[in-house]
Amino acid sequence: MATAARPPSLRLGQQDLKCRRGCGYYGTPQNDGLCSKCFRDRNDKQRKMLKAGDMQPIIGGSSHGPASFSAGGTLERRSPQHFLVRDTPKKQVDKEPDTTSMLQKKKFTAVLQKTLQAGAQKIAQQRGYVPDPTESQFVKQLQKLRIPDDGKRKLKSEIQRLDNEIRKYMNSHSSKNIDELSDTVQNTYTKVADIVHNDPRFEIATNEDRESAIDFFEKVVMTQNHKFLFSPYFTTDEESDMMVQKRIRQLSWITSKHLDCSIDEVNAEARDLVYNAISELEKLQCTVRCCRHIFELLKRATGGPASADDFLPALIFVVLKANPVRLHSNINFVTRFTNASRVMSGEGGYYFTNLCSAIAFIENLNGESLGISKEEFDALMQPDAGLQSFSSPWESALMACESLHLISENMKQMEKLQRKNADISSGIASFEKELIEFQREVTERVDTVMAKAPLTLLPIKTPAFLIGQARSQLLQEMHEGEAGHYQANVLSGSQSLTVHSGMVKTAVAAEESGLALKDTSISSIGRLSPLPNLQQPDNLFASPIFNYAAFDAVSLLEEPSSGGCADVLMLGAELQGGLTNINYDFDLSDQSGENSTAEESKLNLDEFDPLAQPQPQPCGAPAAVEPETSLLNTTTDSLIDSDVPGTCVSLPSPLKPEVANYRGFSNFEIPSISCNTGDFSSLGHDVETTEKPK
Amino acid sequence: MSSRRSRSGPTLNFKAVLLGEGCVGKTSLVLRYMEDKFNPQHLSTLQASFVTKKVTLPDERRAQLNIWDTAGQERFHALGPIYYRGSDGALLVYDITDQDSFQKVKSWVRELKQMRGTEISLIIVGNKTDLEEQRAIGYEDARQYAQTVGAQYLEASAKENEGVAEIFELLTQLMLERLSQRERDAEPPNLLRLDASDAVSVSEGEEGNGEDTGTGQRSCCGI
Repeated sequence: MATAARPPSLRLGQQDLKCRRGCGYYGTPQNDGLCSKCFRDRNDKQRKMLKAGDMQPIIGGSSHGPASFSAGGTLERRSPQHFLVRDTPKKQVDKEPDTTSMLQKKKFTAVLQKTLQAGAQKIAQQRGYVPDPTESQFVKQLQKLRIPDDGKRKLKSEIQRLDNEIRKYMNSHSSKNIDELSDTVQNTYTKVADIVHNDPRFEIATNEDRESAIDFFEKVVMTQNHKFLFSPYFTTDEESDMMVQKRIRQLSWITSKHLDCSIDEVNAEARDLVYNAISELEKLQCTVRCCRHIFELLKRATGGPASADDFLPALIFVVLKANPVRLHSNINFVTRFTNASRVMSGEGGYYFTNLCSAIAFIENLNGESLGISKEEFDALMQPDAGLQSFSSPWESALMACESLHLISENMKQMEKLQRKNADISSGIASFEKELIEFQREVTERVDTVMAKAPLTLLPIKTPAFLIGQARSQLLQEMHEGEAGHYQANVLSGSQSLTVHSGMVKTAVAAEESGLALKDTSISSIGRLSPLPNLQQPDNLFASPIFNYAAFDAVSLLEEPSSGGCADVLMLGAELQGGLTNINYDFDLSDQSGENSTAEESKLNLDEFDPLAQPQPQPCGAPAAVEPETSLLNTTTDSLIDSDVPGTCVSLPSPLKPEVANYRGFSNFEIPSISCNTGDFSSLGHDVETTEKPK
Repeated sequence: MSSRRSRSGPTLNFKAVLLGEGCVGKTSLVLRYMEDKFNPQHLSTLQASFVTKKVTLPDERRAQLNIWDTAGQERFHALGPIYYRGSDGALLVYDITDQDSFQKVKSWVRELKQMRGTEISLIIVGNKTDLEEQRAIGYEDARQYAQTVGAQYLEASAKENEGVAEIFELLTQLMLERLSQRERDAEPPNLLRLDASDAVSVSEGEEGNGEDTGTGQRSCCGI
């Protein structure tokens, strides 16, 4: 079927030329070495096989069909015909020469195709929603056609079918072959012509109406699909465009004398006509008009109807001078997708053929064909020579003309690019917006979560047993008479502590309900982690005396920076905000076992709940209460330890991480309560200091 | 080819090209033919390199004859294929007073046989019979040559309007015969085709090509 361009001079051995089936006819490479007859037979067979085997996928693939029909062609009611008709073209594609390999490929890409089709369909639907001005024009024209309504409907369905097919082809195939597509289109033209001429629905139409119906068909399909079919990316049209353009530019020195054409360059009237012809060349649709201009020109030049002898050189001259942009793309578009039977045989076809000849001549011309010697030709082809020739006004005018064409073409390109650019930037903007939205959402979510479960540092809860111990100790000491003022304080503090623990418990429960538990624990750990390790030993060594001094140091740490360690300093700065904080930290560290932070404290609470007295207090209270809790600590501290150098204790204490200590104690050292008490003792003095400001 | 495409329709479309060396009178023949049978004004306002003529065939069918004139200069000889591709008939015109133009016709015949085989109806036309006294190629020589290559031979004088209409009538007839033969071919394919391909030994690779579709026309830029 595909018998596209073939080099005329191609000669093969006699053996190669015979049909491979041995039927005695000549075969052609295009037909797989078969003669046309055998090739057709084989294709028919294959098609039949395909029909049986491949029906399923085809139907699956075309299941989008109806939807896109109704979308793309806004007008027509769907008829069962669509479904039937739609399937045939695909098979037409199937039966192309490389059927088998193509089929395989098709199966491989079936999935891909489907997705692509879905995408294309979306586009088609979008098109449907935005009424296309050209489309409505076509509808009007269709209504004007003087053919029976049945015929119109049929025509329309054919248009839509081909339209869809082209789109599908452009969207789906992994390896595209322009000849294949062209054949499909040409076959459809033939089919439509058949329909128009033989279908009963067109019976009453006159010949002219039939012709116009066919023309209409072609026009609609090609207008709609111009952007797909014009110089598709998988062809080399654009490169050839560039080549011809370059070539013509090189040949700018050619004058009408070289071509023996009778154009009088000096005559102003003639020049006008040449310019007219040149400007008409811009669009291929204008080729005919251009040629008419040329004939007009020639008629004046020769004084009679011009023959082809005059016409062709003149046309070549005009093409040379006009140097139209995208020559090859345009020509290939026309040759591939116009209705060959109609357009190519009429007057337009003749001019078009002449144009093709002119281009072929230009591409192949040499000195001989211009009537000059090879040396002269080569010399003239030098870029310098070309430049010189622009000196004359005629040449520069022509140059300007060509440049204008280029400019307009480039402007079009720029417009396209600009549109694309706009698309991209709008896409970027929307993406940015999305990002911001996303960010906002995330922060919002985080905020809500935070709000639900705020990071509240809960006051330490002194385990009841410790309190009890402390109390007993205090009582003991009081009894011993050593206690004095501090112990009394501690006592009251311990009481408040118990109250506190109750509160802590409720707070923890609240936290549990939210998600903040982790956050709080993590953050607290994060801040305090550097220090906890230090604290344990410190605690062990803590002595009441030094602690006291130490605490002062800590509270004042900010100024003297005696801590030495940067982290500590930082913490100090943080803590500077209020003493309560410091105390709080202190407490945590000291009472590692009973810490308030979520998880641990929870455990503690479970352990010690029974002792804790459920006396809910207002949230604001804890800060105020804390000093009191620390009070208790101090008392206990003072009771037990007294060996550790103050500085050592003082630094770690504010920073003590509840978690680490807590775990350690709860897991292993709960029995060794004495240690804690030691801590307490060390803090006891601190408490004093804190109280003093109050 | 174009005719075959639209043969289902009532109007037949024939494409005929005029080939020959420059100044043998191709354009004059066309002009004479058109002017005598048609409105001369219409033609003279346009041009002579492409003309269409509607003719009514003996079987009441109507046909449109598209006549393509070509440039005869030697430098454009290479462009020939672009023109005669897809044509149904060719008029090979020479000047009976010019031996060179006859040689040119021979070269055209060779080329056409090679490219188009039996696809195309050939008529060799000796023009300028009004210059009988300067004749360089004898009638019999030319006729015999035409016979050997399977072409018809006619002589005419565009100037005196002798035998011009006959040329085109014969051409139409030949093309019509070829068309109906091809249609018959399509029905019982094998036997007839065998004859055809045997008869023309020069036709080689083009045989299958021309026989399939009219797509050859598309490739006019392929050269």
